[in-house]
Amino acid sequence: MVIAEHLTRTFDGRVAVRDVSLSVHAGEIVALLGPNGAGKTTTMRMLAGLILPDAGRVSIDGVEVNEATAARARGSVGLLTEAPGLWERLPVHLNLLTYARLQGVADPVASVDEALSHVELSDRATEIAGKLSKGLKQRVAIARALIHKPRVLLLDEPTSGLDPATARHIRDLILGLRSEGRAILVSTHNLGEAEELADRVAVLKTELLALDTPAALRQSRSGGRVVIELAGGERRELEIANTGEIPAIVARLVGEGARIVRVTPDQRSLEDVYLDLVGAGR
Amino acid sequence: MTLRLRSGQAFSWTRVAALARKDARELMRNPGAVIPAILMVFGSLFPMFLVVFLVPMIMGQTLEQSGEFAEEAANAVGRIPELAGLSGNALIQTFLFHQFSLLLLLVPIVSGTALATHAVIGEKQSKALEPLLATPISTIELLAAKTLTPFLFALGLTWAAVSVALVGAITVGEPGVWRSIVGPRLFLLFGLLGPLVELASLQVSVIVSSRTSDPRSAQQLTALLILPVTIAFVAQLMGLMIVGPRAILLGAAGCVILNAILAWLGVQVFQRESILTRWT
Repeated sequence: MVIAEHLTRTFDGRVAVRDVSLSVHAGEIVALLGPNGAGKTTTMRMLAGLILPDAGRVSIDGVEVNEATAARARGSVGLLTEAPGLWERLPVHLNLLTYARLQGVADPVASVDEALSHVELSDRATEIAGKLSKGLKQRVAIARALIHKPRVLLLDEPTSGLDPATARHIRDLILGLRSEGRAILVSTHNLGEAEELADRVAVLKTELLALDTPAALRQSRSGGRVVIELAGGERRELEIANTGEIPAIVARLVGEGARIVRVTPDQRSLEDVYLDLVGAGR
Repeated sequence: MTLRLRSGQAFSWTRVAALARKDARELMRNPGAVIPAILMVFGSLFPMFLVVFLVPMIMGQTLEQSGEFAEEAANAVGRIPELAGLSGNALIQTFLFHQFSLLLLLVPIVSGTALATHAVIGEKQSKALEPLLATPISTIELLAAKTLTPFLFALGLTWAAVSVALVGAITVGEPGVWRSIVGPRLFLLFGLLGPLVELASLQVSVIVSSRTSDPRSAQQLTALLILPVTIAFVAQLMGLMIVGPRAILLGAAGCVILNAILAWLGVQVFQRESILTRWT
């Protein structure tokens, strides 16, 4: 549904994103991880048709994004920006109504009602946006991203700065949107959130360092060791090339008469994998 | 209806109207922007009412009786067509309306600036520009919408100020004064030059607002536009020049050229990428 191929973008001679290729399919959530300044927002903006890449191509729903089609692309993507960016003096429904008109939806009033109901804020429609809590503002911003029923959603740090309960609510909302068949790219610093939400994880640091399922990432970066605990408290750590070697090692030890209590491959957390990838590991 | 401009950008009145309506609603809820604009109406009318009506009322003497401005008014008879056929207090009042009417040109400049800077900087402060730019709106539509609401508000205030001046002339002025005031000069001044000066000040405000995040600094810079109007007012008061229909038309022609240059500059400043990377 969203395909990015070899995206490169430079600002004033500084490379923000280099040769990034990724795709997000219908009914899939891809989490975009990376340190500050890694190019996540630039990538999101290129995918949303907000800025064009210097090299490479983006296609949304089969339509290649270029200068002539960028406005159309923006109309088929829902972008949640890092800050909610609401018009704080206006009521919630007027915020959304303006966006419905800007997006050119056929029945703006009905779209506002539907989007508000989607984020369970129908009863807050007449409240002034500036008086809402941070979590409620974020839900209004999500409603704004949904106002034109886009099949592609780009969510830039959707739970940043929210309390755990509100963040949980937003994550449930995102999972609900995936079950409706939308393609969702979530930029986040929260690795637990990425693991919980994402079907695949992309790690970006100017270049794309990895793109795979969380389990495969952990597996691929597992540290080449297996810990074997024997009866009597003895503990052996063996170097391995991959986890496929473990059954043979266990068979050999049993053959040698060892009484094995527990075999533990060195299963690393997504955080360890991420820190290794971005070069900040211990 | 969506037009496609030569630059390739789309132009849809629906989107411009949607954003302009939103700006109007926000302005109505923003006393910090609206009150200075309304105060300017009173500020521009006050000197006229003070000199023409209040001082004579307090002193208990008409302008003719006190001799104030009698000589200047008499000298201007041949140079200001509106004064033809008038005499006594009516002549002096019409002369003073003629002089002070230039001050009303400050309303579109100051009010427009106050409203436009808030319309642009408000978006920057609330970080609303990125979600706005993520819609299909083109930069030219954004520029038009950001200018339209302040333009209509400030034009309405200008015409309200002119109307108050006329109502004053009708109700408190000498008979015949208002008939002398209402003429080609008044229509050219507030139907042609006023809107053009206002458009220029709005465009300057929008361009300056794009480079600052504080409405007051933008307003201070755009206040430079007040200077030519003030110079013309003082020069007219000193008898150095008469701002008649010909001068107004010349000023309007100058404003058309200035507006064309500013429109070009505005489109350069309002580039989607520079807004995203430098404004947000």
